Amino acid sequence: MFSNLEFFLVEAFRSFQRSALISMVTMVTITVSLTIFGLFLLSVINLGNMVGTVSSKLDLSAYTSKDISLEDAGAIQVRISKIPGVEKIEYTSKAEAWKKFKEDFSSKLSLDEAIRDNPLPHTFAVQIRTPDLLPIVAKQISAMEVIDEVRYSGRLIDQIKSLVSAVRVGGLALIVLLFLATLLIVVNTIRLTVLARETDIYIMKLVGATNNFVKWPFIIEGIFIGVLGGVFSFLILKFSYDSVISRLALALPFLPTVTDQGLLSAIYAVMIFGGMGLGMLGGYISVSKVLKNEEEGKC
Amino acid sequence: MIELISATKTYPNGIEVLFEVNLNIGKEEFVFLVGPSGAGKTTLLKLLYREEVPTSGKVIVDRVNVAELDANQVPYLRRNIGVIFQDFKLLPKRTVYENVAFALRVMGAPRSTIRRKAMQALELVGMLKRANSFPDELSGGEKQRACIARAIVNNPPILLADEPTGNLDPTTSWDILQLLDKINKRNTTVLVATHNKSIVDEMKKRVVELESGRVVRDQQLGMYHVQQS
Repeated sequence: MFSNLEFFLVEAFRSFQRSALISMVTMVTITVSLTIFGLFLLSVINLGNMVGTVSSKLDLSAYTSKDISLEDAGAIQVRISKIPGVEKIEYTSKAEAWKKFKEDFSSKLSLDEAIRDNPLPHTFAVQIRTPDLLPIVAKQISAMEVIDEVRYSGRLIDQIKSLVSAVRVGGLALIVLLFLATLLIVVNTIRLTVLARETDIYIMKLVGATNNFVKWPFIIEGIFIGVLGGVFSFLILKFSYDSVISRLALALPFLPTVTDQGLLSAIYAVMIFGGMGLGMLGGYISVSKVLKNEEEGKC
Repeated sequence: MIELISATKTYPNGIEVLFEVNLNIGKEEFVFLVGPSGAGKTTLLKLLYREEVPTSGKVIVDRVNVAELDANQVPYLRRNIGVIFQDFKLLPKRTVYENVAFALRVMGAPRSTIRRKAMQALELVGMLKRANSFPDELSGGEKQRACIARAIVNNPPILLADEPTGNLDPTTSWDILQLLDKINKRNTTVLVATHNKSIVDEMKKRVVELESGRVVRDQQLGMYHVQQS
């Protein structure tokens, strides 16, 4: 077997050399497909990450314009904190809110002249443990008599979430399609190298080579081409992602991006193994097809 | 060694290439298969190394009916049958030595065996000096010698030749036939399909004549054409 392996490797390399152009075309095809695939994967992961970050930052605000004392406010805080799912409450009194508002806008407006009475309500900022509980908690708080209004950007979250799940489902379909399309191209380009070596195959079969023996060099060639394609797409992705992320960090610092090296490495590993798998499968399918045609042609 | 029993081959397009062929070739025989182009000589050879399967009838090679042979057994059948062709079918990008060694490699022979056997085969056909030449650099006769070396490198009990002298001049053709005769004397059954009249007449071997897919003559010490008496 060991001497066979050496033979297979030498044959695979010869074939790669001999049909260098076709091998290059196959490799570029794999590179392009995997790069698109990787870009897609990175986008989905980043989008998911953004939604996760945004929803974890979301909380709801409960307002009341009723005249309440600091004690009342404390009691309300205790009541709200007993609602399951509530993590943290922050109370801002009417007066504090007004003061902060005036501070923020005093340079632009002369508010004291325009508005004499403080129009702002008392605010309870409530943080929820998970975004799913948000509507339930909101309902319970708004049921409290003292509360006039509850606001949260739940619809926005729902929209982002459905967008992400649409992207995920559509993405999965796209990935499958992309994989099949790439496989088809890879199979057909490798088939050109196989057809270019039809005489070799014919003679191998004539002198008593088994089908498996004929197949191995092509499978190895496919793996070789595929891994090269995978490595190139990895390099393209890595450098473009890193540069995009560092630019984004400067331009939009608040935008949460995925920089977890473990996760990124996993994606890059998928690229390389994906390339290997594509090449291997492509080599196997194309040589099997040619062998089958040859056998059928002769029976 | 080789036996055809009512072997018939009809191609899917309806053309009948061989019809009810009965033929028995014993061990270590030397037989010429003659007849005009299209008589079915090549197809008959192809039945023997299972490149074709008969439509009906039996094809027995070394006690095995190859017509019913499982596809995955075909490689092992072919290791016992050497085949040479008019167009040599040498791999152009490999040297003569590599071409011969290739046959052993695909059988998974160990490297030391490959070297020894390939050298022996090249010596037998008189091609040791040309071992490192590429097919393009060889004359027709040398190419055929290389092809023969590849066919016999595994010492198969049977050697089939399909128009081995089709592309060669008379002198070279004669040399090649002498070589085949030499191989036959080393206990190999040899079946040569040819329409090279002078060689058949000169060699005085058994002659089987095909015409339109039928055996019309089977004669010991025969000539290419039926002798008029």
